[in-house]
Amino acid sequence: MKIAVCIKRVADSETRVKVAADGKSLDDAGVKFILNPYDEFAVEEALQRKEKAGTGEVVVLALGGATSQETIRTALAMGADRGILLQTDRIPADGFVTAQAIAAELKAGGPWDLVLFGKMAIDDYNSQVGPMVAELLDLPCVTAVSHLTVEAGTATAEREIEGAVEVVQCPVPAVITTDKGINEPRYPALKGIMAAKKKPLEVKPVSLGGGAIEVVEMTPPPARKEGKIVGEGAAAVPELVKLLREEAKVL
Amino acid sequence: MTTVLAVCEQRDGALRKVSSEVVTGARRIADGLGAEVEALVLASGPVGGADQLGGFGADRVLTLTADGFGTYAPEGYAAAVAGRARGGAAVVVCSASAQGKDLAPRIAAKLGTGLAADLTDVMVEGGVLMAIRPVYAGKALLKVKVTGSPAVLSLRPNVFTPVQRPKAGAASTAAAGVPAGRVTVKEIKAAEAGALDVAEAPIVISGGRGLKEPANFKILEDLAHAFGGRAAVGASRAVVDAGWRPHADQVGQTGKTVSPTLYIAIGISGAIQHLAGMRTSKVIVAINKDKDAPIFKVADYGVVGDLFEIVPVLTAAVKSHA
Amino acid sequence: MKPSQYQAPLPLDRLILKAGSGGAGDSMELDVCIVGGGPAGLACAIELARLGKQDGTELNIGVLEKAEALGEHNLSGAVVNPRALRELFPDLKDSDFPFRRAVDKEAVYMLTGGRELRIPTPPTMQNHGNYIASICELVRWLGGKAEELGVNVFTGFPAASLLVEGNRVAGVRTEAAGLDREGKPTSSYSAPNDLRARVTALAEGTRGTLSQAYCKWQSVGSENPQIFALGVKEIWETKKPLEQIIHTLGWPLPTDAFGGSFCYPLEPNLVALGIVVGLDYRDSNLDIHVLLQRLKLHPLFKEYLEGGELVEWGAKTIPEGGYYALPARRSGDGVVILGDAAGFVDVPSLKGIHYALQSGMYAARAIFEALKSGEPTREKLATYDRLVNDSYIIQDMKKTRNMRLAFKDGFYVGGVKAGLMTLTGGRLFGGKIEMHSDAEAERTAASSDSPGTPGSHPGLVVSKVDAVFKSGNSTRDTIPSHLIVGKDITKEVADFYSHICPAGVYEQVDGQLRVNPPNCVDCKATDVLGPRWTPREGGSGPKYKRM
Repeated sequence: MKIAVCIKRVADSETRVKVAADGKSLDDAGVKFILNPYDEFAVEEALQRKEKAGTGEVVVLALGGATSQETIRTALAMGADRGILLQTDRIPADGFVTAQAIAAELKAGGPWDLVLFGKMAIDDYNSQVGPMVAELLDLPCVTAVSHLTVEAGTATAEREIEGAVEVVQCPVPAVITTDKGINEPRYPALKGIMAAKKKPLEVKPVSLGGGAIEVVEMTPPPARKEGKIVGEGAAAVPELVKLLREEAKVL
Repeated sequence: MTTVLAVCEQRDGALRKVSSEVVTGARRIADGLGAEVEALVLASGPVGGADQLGGFGADRVLTLTADGFGTYAPEGYAAAVAGRARGGAAVVVCSASAQGKDLAPRIAAKLGTGLAADLTDVMVEGGVLMAIRPVYAGKALLKVKVTGSPAVLSLRPNVFTPVQRPKAGAASTAAAGVPAGRVTVKEIKAAEAGALDVAEAPIVISGGRGLKEPANFKILEDLAHAFGGRAAVGASRAVVDAGWRPHADQVGQTGKTVSPTLYIAIGISGAIQHLAGMRTSKVIVAINKDKDAPIFKVADYGVVGDLFEIVPVLTAAVKSHA
Repeated sequence: MKPSQYQAPLPLDRLILKAGSGGAGDSMELDVCIVGGGPAGLACAIELARLGKQDGTELNIGVLEKAEALGEHNLSGAVVNPRALRELFPDLKDSDFPFRRAVDKEAVYMLTGGRELRIPTPPTMQNHGNYIASICELVRWLGGKAEELGVNVFTGFPAASLLVEGNRVAGVRTEAAGLDREGKPTSSYSAPNDLRARVTALAEGTRGTLSQAYCKWQSVGSENPQIFALGVKEIWETKKPLEQIIHTLGWPLPTDAFGGSFCYPLEPNLVALGIVVGLDYRDSNLDIHVLLQRLKLHPLFKEYLEGGELVEWGAKTIPEGGYYALPARRSGDGVVILGDAAGFVDVPSLKGIHYALQSGMYAARAIFEALKSGEPTREKLATYDRLVNDSYIIQDMKKTRNMRLAFKDGFYVGGVKAGLMTLTGGRLFGGKIEMHSDAEAERTAASSDSPGTPGSHPGLVVSKVDAVFKSGNSTRDTIPSHLIVGKDITKEVADFYSHICPAGVYEQVDGQLRVNPPNCVDCKATDVLGPRWTPREGGSGPKYKRM
């Protein structure tokens, strides 16, 4: 069982977001960076599958700056066998550029029984590198999977859709992106943290093209508007629903 | 003339509401570019509502059919849309719905270009396509220039309010001419009730002491149900401490935050520890009989009055719009 | 009311375990186990690793840190004396250290409710040559240095018990994770781990639980009991730049409390503001968090803060007993006690970070020699005490040995005495001033001078719950309580606890004490005066970033 897990170093969700001096990116002063939580599910899934198979290798792959090595070490501490960092000084705004670099690396290091991603990164909310890599590698792909079984060369996955759950099947090898619910990620154990230091971590510099998406500016969201009392009693409900639908646009 | 493709969605042979949003967004772009909108529907046969898309600004509506297109067929859909886009589309617009989040990246990759995902606004400035996308859980907005040819976009659901903008909307049907692919939907199961975690749900409906007794949370569950699988029921600390609701449902205290799109606080006065846990919600609605309750200070919309009267009416109204 | 009457005893049965006791999951062997990844622990780790490298001896060094990431449980002013860092990194320049800026301008003010009077800066408070820093940033930087040298830094692992063999400390047991409110394992349960070590270095920081347990267990006394102050601190992004460091005395403290405030610009528009009050204050209604809120409304600070934004909040105690409160020995069989845990803080100069670093280095040297010569016995590790005793740490602390203690009789008498001590280098009033522990100080609810809550100044004044939010605390609500409350808590005592705790852990509701353990930011104030603090699931508590 040879499994690749593609992970990303991201700003903690508790981060107070401040725009950097360039007006286009996050000011990372005082920001804590973590392994993307959705990627933790992917790492855990890979580990469980390898443990179940009794044999195999879990390889974690990240694209990012030198500090992403720390993030890879976290996955190694959880139990992954080795890591690869595609080192670049900036993460492209265009997920396809990232996907191309990752696909090239996976192609060179394959074949894989499974390629896992988190369903999205909590920083850029792109939800795209996983399925793009699948296209580039011509592998079947199921995204945002909250339950997964693999039997006799067929993956059966559940993914949440609006108001329902889709049960999807595809042959393996495949690309799966993981959602909450698929498993309960383990905390690195003391022994795992020790062992992680000695596991191989290969750093490969990559140079990336510009892509089709360019950040023009980053701005804070508009300030919260003053609230209002819509009315009293049940009679106010139609107005409330109208406001939620037309002004707040949440219905 | 250049074309903007609007990739619509159907379920069980009927168009989904996001389709009109996608057409609305596509129309806005097409107007900026001086282009036409072609609404694209992928199905195994005729789809109810496809003839309505002209009303939102579709110049043409093309239904591409294939065996296995009745339910979402990721690979077949992506191949069909990409094939159509290669015929000269300048822009491909999808929804960032559950399906669109899966489909749009595949289309972009097939076309060898990037995807501007989960957009909350699009505009054409000096002939250049620009878009706004929230990042860092909505704590910042990115303005991006999309230069792909074609440009591939996905629009955040519920943001692009459908606008009536009548165009011809001439409907036609053609064979997609592609296989459905290796990934197939076997079944669509109704979501388990209450399966959503309050921390994850896009809509959270929380109750407090104002509900008077544990059994009355039923009316909150009914409201949650009216939102389909998107809403979870939360509770204030007072109610959890009283043993009315399980601890897992507690919103607030200790900086444990929820940031749903919509937070409805019902019978909650708004103790500060509760507010600390939910004030980053996108839209906050408060229903409380005490007009001086602190919850109204953070609420975007407040209704003062008896929750036992108000909530059932709200539930009915939501149901009728779902 | 005397707080000690209501305080539960230190739970020695939990804190001191026979090595080999059941209940642990993994077990691991280390040469040196350092409890606490702050300045003292990391300096010790760095120096040890370096000594090992120079000597060609491979040492297995582990640092246990209870916070989820390094620095997240560290809080200080901070104006740092660079002396110890220069010794720890002889090849680096001051500009290589993670300091924010050198202190160039400073001022000390005596405050009244609406005015301030600038007073000459006392010699002990002169900071020329020192640097403004965030201890969180300093600690993260030190952690990187330690890891480069091969030190294992285990974040998210609190040490819960000392493992002992006879009188020897043989390692520690970590706290379990993933328990529910009733203490039963959940699906994410992970068992405690035993770390067996030849030497255990207790660098737990202020009011260290295992350090207390060790001293109690081995009957290591001190001439005076240790006393503490509580500091509550906020970081503000300001509209108006601040160019100097400020210290204040007087208002809003009552005259029978010892303390003052500090205000340091990390950047011209990023300001650290805090208040520090000795926990021997007499008014049981005194609330240090509220005093800080009130302080912000003083014209001296308000003009900077108004229109700005509170970005972080935190609290921590400070050992203030000084020279006479140091444990008679800070070393024993297989164990040393470092930094704040030992009480190395000089109150008149408001400094302890360089002592923590320095004590860590001395401990490393003593440990290294002891390990090389065989068993790290009490006799061998006593080298550490000798190194400290002969150093500037003790010299400094001796000079100011009575300065804080002079204030036990109130601010004005104390001020005069302290001034005379400074002038005479500590010789006047040179005999030991007797002190009782903070919990022995009688409290009365002062009816006239109750601080109450400052008026509503939206944007400037924050409630305790909002403050906890700003500490980054996102401890899960379902952890079992780590706080041990004494018996027969009266309404008066419950009120007292609710005022001591800056994080709203304690509330008095209908005459009863209500405890909200997840709010706890590990400041240890009630461990001094009331409910005991014990270690809890790793990664709980605050997540300080630039404190």
